Amino acid sequence: MSDFFAADFLFRNAILGGLGIALLCSVVGVYLVLRRLVLIGVALPQASAAGVAAVFFATGHGSGEGHGTHRLALLGSLLTTFAALAGLVAAQRRARAPAEWGIGALFAITSAATILFIALNPKGDIEMSGLLRGELLAITPSDLRVLWGALLVAAVPFFLFRRELLLTSFDPEFARTIGRDPVRYDALLYALIGGSIALGVMEAGPLVVFGFLVLPALAALHLGGGLGAAFAISAAIGSASFLGGFALAYRADLPAGPVCVGVAAACWLAAALAARLRTRHRALSAILALAVVAAAATLPGCSLRGERGLTPLSRGALPAPEPGHAIAVLPFDNQTGEPLHVSADLFWKDVPRALGDPFAAPALTVPDLLEQRAAVELARRGFEVVPIERVRSLVIHPPADPFAAARAAKRAGLDGPVLQGTLRRFTVSGSGVLLVRLELALVDPASKQLLWTGSARRPVPIRAAQTWSEIVLDAGPPIFAEAFGASEPR
Amino acid sequence: MVRRASLVVHPEEFVIIVGSNGSGKTTLLRGLLGFLPPLAGSVSRRAGLRVGYVPQRETLDPLYPLSAFGVALLGAWRDLSFWRVSAARERARARDALVACRADEFASRRYAELSGGQRQRVLLARALATDPELLLLDEPTAGIDPEAEEGILDLLRELREKRGLSIWMVTHHVHAIGARSDRTVSISGGRVLCEAA
Repeated sequence: MSDFFAADFLFRNAILGGLGIALLCSVVGVYLVLRRLVLIGVALPQASAAGVAAVFFATGHGSGEGHGTHRLALLGSLLTTFAALAGLVAAQRRARAPAEWGIGALFAITSAATILFIALNPKGDIEMSGLLRGELLAITPSDLRVLWGALLVAAVPFFLFRRELLLTSFDPEFARTIGRDPVRYDALLYALIGGSIALGVMEAGPLVVFGFLVLPALAALHLGGGLGAAFAISAAIGSASFLGGFALAYRADLPAGPVCVGVAAACWLAAALAARLRTRHRALSAILALAVVAAAATLPGCSLRGERGLTPLSRGALPAPEPGHAIAVLPFDNQTGEPLHVSADLFWKDVPRALGDPFAAPALTVPDLLEQRAAVELARRGFEVVPIERVRSLVIHPPADPFAAARAAKRAGLDGPVLQGTLRRFTVSGSGVLLVRLELALVDPASKQLLWTGSARRPVPIRAAQTWSEIVLDAGPPIFAEAFGASEPR
Repeated sequence: MVRRASLVVHPEEFVIIVGSNGSGKTTLLRGLLGFLPPLAGSVSRRAGLRVGYVPQRETLDPLYPLSAFGVALLGAWRDLSFWRVSAARERARARDALVACRADEFASRRYAELSGGQRQRVLLARALATDPELLLLDEPTAGIDPEAEEGILDLLRELREKRGLSIWMVTHHVHAIGARSDRTVSISGGRVLCEAA
């Protein structure tokens, strides 16, 4: 489990980012459930997704138009989320028709609009669908800082005004009689709900956001205790469900979002069962509930570094590893002519850079994912590998050729062999085949001697993958098997 | 809509507002509370007047995981400052209110699990925890058995005597309450028909 949070773990950012979203949604979700706004929790993420899809459609999003389009995408997400929220709340207050009528209509309209905008978009289908489904795997360190910063910013008013939020939610008229304006605190709560949804949908997709808004809160309310306990239990179940679900998905090679939501649903069912048992077997039910949460978080996580992650492979055509000399995988050079951005490079993610942080990480790209995959594949073949984060801190720019790589490594003080990579092609054909050309070279910085060269050129079928991250995850092993000259076990 | 209502709240007075369904009783009460601003005329309140409000208990959602004590505590939050540190004082005030309403024996039970009469006592305790001068109640005895109704009415009278409260109460049950009140305001079709001492 400790591997989860190690700096060199491939999915560290995805886990910490997803954990932040799970925490935020599961805490805010308690009020969503208590105020009987669960259906709003279904419709708003879909409205947010429709906003993103509309922006992509309007701007003709493609892989070469990343920055401005993605900034607009968040704007679209925020605008549609808050517009939909304002409309629903206004309709609810007028009470001319049952609230669920409007919510149902909103869900139907925004679901259809999302699909139509995706279908009509001539470019960027893969990146767009990835963004709509959530690109947890593509969260960069700077994304992570901004995400957790937003989490802390949301936590401050939530904690400071917790009593007012309870007062105005439970009995708004009574709150008014003691001088607490429900409109003001409703606005605060709706801002927290809307912000959480817009942020969460951009990073994790509508399914994960809705699942974590509702299921942990429902489970917590089943387990009893006061309101403070409900918040704490919901946060614990949300975190445990995400960690357990992510580990299960990783091990079973399944999409992370639905598995995480499935684990949260299992926790809810266990809590409902515990609530039924509670009247007769109070202690037993508490132990059962705790055991389910603990199992969700730890059992899959303990086997995280199991067979799938590090199945040993032969070293193929690579030279024998030298003891004490770890290989440093340098940033891969992108010569495809396309930026191949993986993450949504949104304006709020550029805040650290805009504030003058020279170390703010740029958006993640396919070459970055291939570089990380190369480190994993080398480790599978018995090589000791310098942690990627350390290499990144020493060598920022990708060297253009093996000799430039040797010079850069020497300047950085890396004395072991370095792997240099150049990506010349990375496109997906209409028939679901990845056309790739990756050239690799292993060079000794001290002698500037080429130790080994290899390349991958064979097309790779990627029919199941729909995002750049999933493509790299699926196609990475065969690409490096070809380049390193060792076959993948079947 | 309530028309041509001219009413004065006197100190330490127990007033009941009676009328049939839809006659405007609750509208009048909400006007006194300031929830519904008058379309014509005015509602004058002394600056700093402390009003305790007991709503119809069906309006409160039993889904909230609050104990009876937790509900009473909401009333003690009237004087919360931004940097609130007086949790012990608030809790003491809520406890006192529960004792005064004879609701302390079920203080730790969930509000949702209480009977109608018990819930009413808890809501009364919440209003008392605001330290009011004027207590406004919206049909506090609706849907509870005669014995519990008697208990609540006795309690209200006792609170008025011990704490010097003015009490205005909306009710259907004029036969049971009329004898205990100082004044009866009868309302029908949105018009105040009569005031009887």
